[in-house]
Amino acid sequence: MNFGKLLRRNETVLIIAIVLFSILIGSRSSEFFTLANLFDILRSSFVQLLFALGVLIVIISGGIDVSFPIVGIFAGYTAVVIMRNFKLDEESLLIPIVLAIVIGVLLGGLNAIAITGFGIPTLIATLGTAGIFKGVMLSFIGASFISNIPVGLDDFSTADLIKFESDAGLLVRLHVLIIPIVIITVLVSLMLTRTLFGRSIYALGGGVEPTRRLGISVKRTQTKIYMLVGGLSGLAGILYISLQRKANPYDLAGSELDVIAAVVLGGASIMGGYGTVFGTVLGVLFINMIKNNLVLLGVSSSWQRAAVGVLLVIGITIQAVTENRKLKRQRVATSGEVDSK
Amino acid sequence: MNERLQRLSTHGLLADRKVTQLIGFTLLIFILFSTFSPNIFFSPQNFRSMAYQVPEIAILSIAVMLSMLTGGIDLSIVSISNASALVAAYIMTQNSSESGQISTTWILIACFLGIILGLLCGAINAFLIAFLNVTPILATLATLTLFNGIAIGMTNGISVSDLPEQFIRLGNGTFFGIPTPFVLMIIVAAGVGYLINRTGLGLKIFLIGTNRKAAQYSVMADKKVIAWTYIVSGFLSALAGLIIAARTSAASPDFGNSYILLAIVIVVLGGVNPMGGFGTVTGVVLATIVLQMVASGFNALRFSQFFYLAAQGGVLVLVMMVNTILEQRRARASVTKSLGKI
Repeated sequence: MNFGKLLRRNETVLIIAIVLFSILIGSRSSEFFTLANLFDILRSSFVQLLFALGVLIVIISGGIDVSFPIVGIFAGYTAVVIMRNFKLDEESLLIPIVLAIVIGVLLGGLNAIAITGFGIPTLIATLGTAGIFKGVMLSFIGASFISNIPVGLDDFSTADLIKFESDAGLLVRLHVLIIPIVIITVLVSLMLTRTLFGRSIYALGGGVEPTRRLGISVKRTQTKIYMLVGGLSGLAGILYISLQRKANPYDLAGSELDVIAAVVLGGASIMGGYGTVFGTVLGVLFINMIKNNLVLLGVSSSWQRAAVGVLLVIGITIQAVTENRKLKRQRVATSGEVDSK
Repeated sequence: MNERLQRLSTHGLLADRKVTQLIGFTLLIFILFSTFSPNIFFSPQNFRSMAYQVPEIAILSIAVMLSMLTGGIDLSIVSISNASALVAAYIMTQNSSESGQISTTWILIACFLGIILGLLCGAINAFLIAFLNVTPILATLATLTLFNGIAIGMTNGISVSDLPEQFIRLGNGTFFGIPTPFVLMIIVAAGVGYLINRTGLGLKIFLIGTNRKAAQYSVMADKKVIAWTYIVSGFLSALAGLIIAARTSAASPDFGNSYILLAIVIVVLGGVNPMGGFGTVTGVVLATIVLQMVASGFNALRFSQFFYLAAQGGVLVLVMMVNTILEQRRARASVTKSLGKI
């Protein structure tokens, strides 16, 4: 591969940024380059990464979904409520997870009906359904905080793959979730790059009319996309509840913009048609690294949000400037051809 | 007679089908809640409190409408309004004496600086969107985080309260018997209505929203026009922020986060095309009043506030569905009509 081209790739820029920030923070504080810190960053990224994968799929298809955090907490909270009301097996971990995924897929299906059935723009449709889902959950399912979640979920929050005490006396632990998360990430990546469905998602993002003329059913593809995203969000929601060890129906709401920001920072084009799973993973890790470690740089925690904002502005500016330059080069190239003829 | 009626409906206010629909909808909701709750909803106190609550959200919605007319969107309105209110509130509390006395000049300076900050934030949005070609939703998403972050950083997330007496009167007083914020809203609505319907800039806004490529080929300085819409949007957001601060006597970095959703619901309900190119100020103001009536009505009937949230989303989806169905029917009707002529 051409070296210049490789350097201009968004993923490369992100890796360089991550390395530079690591060196910067590491030189200021010895706490940064420890296994404990790395595992902490990973743990705080799990749920966000699952949401981000869903958002990535929607963004590649040219849409945007802002209902996913509500779908996630709706699915997770409802699963916990069902577990308690129907006295289902408290020990089980599988039942609540399956319940949450099923609820998530159903809610995603409702999104799909609004979007494909009535042709409502995706941002407006999901803004509306987010309001409906949240209102329905709080008025009919429950508005109270549940602190004693089922034992199975509760135990899972401390299921560690690696656990030992470091020399400094710090407890170093890596959650077992790392394995399923990596598997899901790889599966989503394979689905996007290697399957017909995945390629039709990219085609849809490139243009609706061309996709239709290729013989791909736009409605069926969109329906599948929103149901898949609903399922991913449901899984993320129940895992969030498990990791937090409490079910709070007011949680997660408002996190949609942060996740979209991570996906966009990872290089996905908001206009659709472009985006990689690798970029998204880097984007999520980068944002969490910054959020978790700004304190080590001597930035007080109240300035964290501003710092993320600055990063975002820089990120999108770099993207836009490279895009503008590419367009200009294309224009120059085509007009040059005309001249030579 | 029929001809005259037709002329009336094509030239007057009724020319806009969506505004007519909204007027009908407003009356329906009004009658519905008045019959179900004659004592609480249909009372002067309720209309008074509604007149104080409508203006801030109406002004924010008008700001969103402006950016939507060009085919963009401004998500940073609430962050801008909070940041402006905080700056103004901070200056006021710093310059008032121990007993809370402050000269009117300082209040004017504080409001002025708050507005300037709003213009500045709008200019940042404008620079990113118009001159760097960043997609509006992305640019304002980033600046939303940035402005909100700066506000949190400056105040450590604590709200500024106990604002001076004269300033609070601005948000709670009356002007010839009409609540002052409501008067301000009418001035803003009239001003923006004039801007988009009677000036060259307004015409260009609509043309760019309809077809940006065509506008570019018509040498329309599209970047400058788009930049202006975001600057005006920043100004209106700052104004709304000052009104909120004056009404609640406080400014906080995380006030009214749900207002972004609400403003978009209102704008779409008001008949503005989210893809750009069409929208009216009358529609947006009417939509604000409808939603406020629904909120007050639900309150009077003792529904939970969460139910109102669901109703908000439901109204948004429903309006969009009805629009699609009507549009499809109209398209089919016009096809049949033209086929019949042949």
